[in-house]
Amino acid sequence: MTTFDRRPDACAALAAPVVILVGHFGSGKSEIALNLALGFRARGEDVSIVDLDVVKPYFRCRQAREELRARGIRLVAPAGEHAHADLPIILPAIRSLLQRPPGRVLMDVGGDPVGARALGSLSDAVVPGATELLVVLNFLRPYTETVDEAVEMVRAIETAARLRATGLVSNTHLLAETTPATVVEGVQMAEATAARLQLPVVAAVADEPTARGLAGRTLPCPLLVLERLIRPPFEGTREQRKVGPLFVLN
Amino acid sequence: MAKKLMKGCEAIGEAAVKAGCKLFFGYPITPQNEIPEYMAHRLPQVGGTFVQAESEVAASNMIYGAAGSGERVFTSSSSPGISLMQEGISYIAGSELPVVIVNIMRAGPGLGGILPSQSDYFQATKGGGHGDYRLLVLAPWSVQEAADLVQDAFDLADFYRNPVMVLGDGLIGQMMEPVEFKPERTPCKPLAPKEWAATGCSGDRPTNIVNSLFLDPEVLERHNQKLKAKYDRMVRDEVRCASYGTDRPYDVLVVAYGTVARVSSTALDDLRGEGVDAALFRPITLFPFPHAELRAAAEKAQEVLVVELSTGQMIEDVRLALEGRKPIHFLGRQGGMLISPEAVAEKVKAIQASSAEVRRG
Repeated sequence: MTTFDRRPDACAALAAPVVILVGHFGSGKSEIALNLALGFRARGEDVSIVDLDVVKPYFRCRQAREELRARGIRLVAPAGEHAHADLPIILPAIRSLLQRPPGRVLMDVGGDPVGARALGSLSDAVVPGATELLVVLNFLRPYTETVDEAVEMVRAIETAARLRATGLVSNTHLLAETTPATVVEGVQMAEATAARLQLPVVAAVADEPTARGLAGRTLPCPLLVLERLIRPPFEGTREQRKVGPLFVLN
Repeated sequence: MAKKLMKGCEAIGEAAVKAGCKLFFGYPITPQNEIPEYMAHRLPQVGGTFVQAESEVAASNMIYGAAGSGERVFTSSSSPGISLMQEGISYIAGSELPVVIVNIMRAGPGLGGILPSQSDYFQATKGGGHGDYRLLVLAPWSVQEAADLVQDAFDLADFYRNPVMVLGDGLIGQMMEPVEFKPERTPCKPLAPKEWAATGCSGDRPTNIVNSLFLDPEVLERHNQKLKAKYDRMVRDEVRCASYGTDRPYDVLVVAYGTVARVSSTALDDLRGEGVDAALFRPITLFPFPHAELRAAAEKAQEVLVVELSTGQMIEDVRLALEGRKPIHFLGRQGGMLISPEAVAEKVKAIQASSAEVRRG
């Protein structure tokens, strides 16, 4: 049993049936989408995860196909050899999932405005009120290092997606070198960005060791405790590699 | 500067900028598109120029011309694109010009696939283009090391007036790790003014000519011997390698480079609790290959295991280094399939078990 199977409460803050994750390239969308999918599933929900990543060639949700199936999560992504193609494939099933979600639908959109453009082609199928469009921010990534840059990134993504963001997710981290202070400073910058954009920060993200270090501190938003599922093959303990989770490369 | 979380491709791009590179010419190909994208965004901020060429053939000729002016020049591509660049690279080596070339390898041959591979080892280290020339080839195993080696690559290229290649498997380009750039970096080689550069001549100095054409065979032979002397100096002075776990006794020595060496080091960590004695040797320069260092490390081992994302390319240099002194085994995956730490550990255990059996007689 992995950590996420034991943590059914991480997703409580999100009520909308459709949750779309957008953001800068490398901001953590796929990792958060997979964690949310597993979290919602652990709460007993019917979960679909849509891999609309037309930007990065590796580390996409589709590469966890078997692991997701084993957990009863529906994956909507190019299959067969097209799963490994660097082609902007948009499956027709996505449109109906957005309009008539059978349960919870999570969508992992490719990074940057370039990736959000694929979402733009589906924007007419997005049901306002039933959809959260969350922008993931990591202030330790190039091009979203300041509040100004983050505001610019959010606006550019909104333009490309032809949709308005409904909230921000604070995901400032340095992988294994993340400290509780990293998360707290990231949340402060996300709050400043949110104030400029008149949006809420719907969640802060931290991995389990960092979350333990945050115990006793009050954050202005719910904390999503994340298990790092997307890892290169040399990382993690033997036990972690054995139980899954979703090492996402072939 | 504080650490940032960077993809390998972004770190490579930023490293080139930090090394004073102002010119990038290239053509997109997966899995390294983030390098030209980064340079297209970043170079105008530092007064540089990014040009997307009409093909890799054109890009390699653009870096040839730009390097002739003495500027720091950079291109990047992935396997099929690097193949297209070979003519230009041969001319650049023949004309003794400094350029930095990054190859983020994908699986081949032909168009192959977009997943990671190490199957361009021969191309990088044994020629690639025509003629008697060598590239100095550096192989990082982490995003930080990729950033460091790219900066060193510019110094080495200038020092030797020779193309330098940074060879990374696809994972190096796509994975994310924390990276730090030191604010004050000292070049890894002493750098002389580029008095050879073709910068326009008003008659106050002899004309500088960028050329790889020598019709007189005696002159061309002298040119080849001059290049050879340069490669000999690289072999003498530029070998880089690292080892892991060689401070303890070991029966099996694993030899791997790039992220495969990371996988192998994880395997060795796992094996430590199981009474299996193994160590890792990692070439960082693939040319010059660390022959003497590998020979020394292998002396303490009974068996040697080479692990590569190919059907066996670096293993030929390992054989040359060991000259039959030790049995050499091989573990490889191809096509973009990766090697797991478990697969390396299993192979090491099997080798050690059969080796012990043979010794018992």
